[in-house]
Amino acid sequence: VQPPEKPLQAEEWNKLREGFQSPEIFEEVMLNSMIRCNSPIDVAKSLLTHLAKRNGDIAYNVLVKYLTLCVQQRQVSEIRDVYDIMKVRFKILESGAYKLLIKGLSSSDQWRMALALLEEVKKIMIPSRTCYESCIKAAIRHQEMKLAFELYDEMLAKDVVPTLGVLQSFFDFSRGIEDAELQKELFGILLYLRENQIYPHRTFMRSIKLWFESIPGANWRGRLTKIKDSGQCPVCNHQLEDSNLTEEEYSNLSERIIRDVIHGTDTFRKTSPQEFEAFQTFVESRLPFDIVIDGLNVSHIKPRKMQCENLFDAINCLAKENTRLLVLGRKHMLMNSSNWKREIMKEMQNKADFFFAENISEDDAFLLYATLRSGKHCKFVTRDFLRDHKACLPDSLTRHLFRKWQRGHQIVFSPAAEGRSIKFLFFSVFSQQPAFSYDCVVQTTGDTWHIPYKDVFEEKYSYQVPRKWLCIQQK
Amino acid sequence: MQSANMLLRKIVRSSVLPFAAQHRMQKDLFPLSRTLSLSLRLEQDKSCEPTEKLDLDEWKKVMKSGLQEEVSETVSEPKELSSLAAARETLEMWRLAGRAVPENISEEQLKTFMECPSKSAKKKYLKYLHLKELRKKNDKRKMDEKRERRLEAQDQASKTDETKKSSFVCMWSSTMNKAYNWRAAQSMIFGQPLVFDMSYEKEMSVREVTNTVRQIVLSESCNRRSVDPFHIHFCNFKDDSLYHREFINQYREAWGKLLITVTDQCYTEIFPKDKLIYLTADSPKVMKTFDHDKIYIVGSMVDKSIKTGLSLARAKRLGLETAALPLEKYLLWTTGAKNLTLDQMMHILLTLKDTADWKKALEFVPKRKYCGFVNKPVKELKKTLDLINTLKHGRGREEVQKQFAKSYPKK
Repeated sequence: VQPPEKPLQAEEWNKLREGFQSPEIFEEVMLNSMIRCNSPIDVAKSLLTHLAKRNGDIAYNVLVKYLTLCVQQRQVSEIRDVYDIMKVRFKILESGAYKLLIKGLSSSDQWRMALALLEEVKKIMIPSRTCYESCIKAAIRHQEMKLAFELYDEMLAKDVVPTLGVLQSFFDFSRGIEDAELQKELFGILLYLRENQIYPHRTFMRSIKLWFESIPGANWRGRLTKIKDSGQCPVCNHQLEDSNLTEEEYSNLSERIIRDVIHGTDTFRKTSPQEFEAFQTFVESRLPFDIVIDGLNVSHIKPRKMQCENLFDAINCLAKENTRLLVLGRKHMLMNSSNWKREIMKEMQNKADFFFAENISEDDAFLLYATLRSGKHCKFVTRDFLRDHKACLPDSLTRHLFRKWQRGHQIVFSPAAEGRSIKFLFFSVFSQQPAFSYDCVVQTTGDTWHIPYKDVFEEKYSYQVPRKWLCIQQK
Repeated sequence: MQSANMLLRKIVRSSVLPFAAQHRMQKDLFPLSRTLSLSLRLEQDKSCEPTEKLDLDEWKKVMKSGLQEEVSETVSEPKELSSLAAARETLEMWRLAGRAVPENISEEQLKTFMECPSKSAKKKYLKYLHLKELRKKNDKRKMDEKRERRLEAQDQASKTDETKKSSFVCMWSSTMNKAYNWRAAQSMIFGQPLVFDMSYEKEMSVREVTNTVRQIVLSESCNRRSVDPFHIHFCNFKDDSLYHREFINQYREAWGKLLITVTDQCYTEIFPKDKLIYLTADSPKVMKTFDHDKIYIVGSMVDKSIKTGLSLARAKRLGLETAALPLEKYLLWTTGAKNLTLDQMMHILLTLKDTADWKKALEFVPKRKYCGFVNKPVKELKKTLDLINTLKHGRGREEVQKQFAKSYPKK
């Protein structure tokens, strides 16, 4: 339905209502379309008057819809009036109305009322991130930085993830202020980005850059750049952190993989205790490997070739470099078949160590274990993203560790050309380029900051890392 | 209160002004219209203001009376009740806002609601209750309608003819029950055992257990009605478990009179190991024929989240043979998981047992999951399928092959 352009009288509303196919929901539909068309508020008011006169009451959802319209048009006095009515009529409100009220009031000069409302929300539930966003932004806008940071900390303590918009406004409104405390807090936000592997987008990055450059007397200078494959920043020649995990992180991760990925709730789901034990003794007796290969995965690279030939090519390609290889496979590969020729299998076993799991076992879990046991230098080869294994890890921190380790250690084969010459190229799964030697995360050395950022327009998959960086250094 | 009044007054005033403007436009046409519109405005002001005041007062009264009740309640049991009451209140507001929330909610449900770990879990639970409530209401309405119709029909029947001649006394259901029970009793002595493995309680949520039990009840009833029933065993069944409570909920008094074997022993303790076959969709082995000498085990689990390999793990641990239904072999599978509900399994197994006809048995797989039966092995069919596709879409052979590989992954 098209909302009228001018306020109507009761009879006119009645006429419209009767013309509508289902009169019971006429008001709702009408208000919805008013919100969509951003109709003048007077029109909505006339509808409400008509309703109040007819029913002697206005339903809650209609009031909320009217409130939406008011918030959309920033009619602060109307918002207040609706709030007063609601407060008298209902003991508590529901989250949608609170959200609207907070949003509407926080952008006005009555923003302190929004804070009071936030307190009220806290009594019945955890406020949503947008509620916090409105309040924090309002506090920042009025230069109440301390209050803003209090709310921000409270939000983090409640496990509510802040929007990038909030973080950006912290930087936007701190420009040119000399305040050691404030600086510390903002550095804290950058470290938050680091810990959670969040990448700011272009405009956010610009806010960070401008803030750094505006600190009086600090002489920060920011420039946009791309990091070389070696991990060196072309602007300041600084070497970025390498992608290796620390000893503690490393042992933590391998422990978690054994506990949560391989054993999980029931060791029998992915393997069996006997098999895992056999595998463990096998690996321990031959440590350390340089490259662990997922045999079945690699054998499917070229669909037109025999599977064992694909594997053979891969092993030849890797064995040249005098590395210790471990190939993981399943027992069915040992059966002479059209895809798995016994002679070729024999030849391969001279060049690499093989472990054959049961046909119904998960070989990926073994792949992870063998690679982690071999040490930090060891890499593994598979096209699999290993998402299902990552999902077995219970907390996001370990999952981040897993991703980081995977970024640095996973290699993918890609057949170079469809021609006769068999040439394999190594790629990291994530970027069609060699495995990263540096860690793609916000980082600092005290007098430099390196911040990866993404273009807003560029689609970014969760497994991809941005290629563009902001380099900030102090002169 | 005052401000609310003010607002309503404002609404009235501002809505009237534009009307006046409208009328003024017509002034040239009707010289009298100005006075007319003025008098109209006056009338409106008079007519609406008192009613508005009245309404607002009514709200206030309702509010106050509601508050007093709450207070008296909270005094008796201080803290717990207040949080419950608050939750109830929130629910009420959500309902007013038009969300999927049940109208009536019991204390117990409210507690479950509050224990939900996240906002989305809460929403989901409420939606579930809401739909349940709707269904119940609908059922009741239908029942009432049916009863009325039946009464009418009876009235008419009694009017038209009074005596019906029949050599049987009309006692269908009880006679049938007796016959069924006789068969079930025989199956308990001579029948082929079928085991339901009741050891998955820990892996399921309460709702999943409820669903499981409902499916088992359905399976049991269709088994009882069959020509040659299985001898049903519930193994690993713990007394006072969630399963037990749900069964009593479903069967009531009949639970004690069921012609099945319920035991807390494992099937491996009752039957020789080499005769057991664990049926699981994750099994690498595909069932070829139904074996009348084997004892099939069905895991009593509904798996709403993704827990692949759970029953396979159980069979592996005990070193049992496993098997999966040959769904791929006989059906052109389209969507949905390969795991079937327990009553579907029961139907399939019963049909296999009676007829050994896979096509007939697999009729019980839900139609939405497959698009047709395959009478030739898939490998042979592949060529014709390719041909059809290339002719139909003019697509390259490779692409077709890729598609095919996707829908029929190599084992």
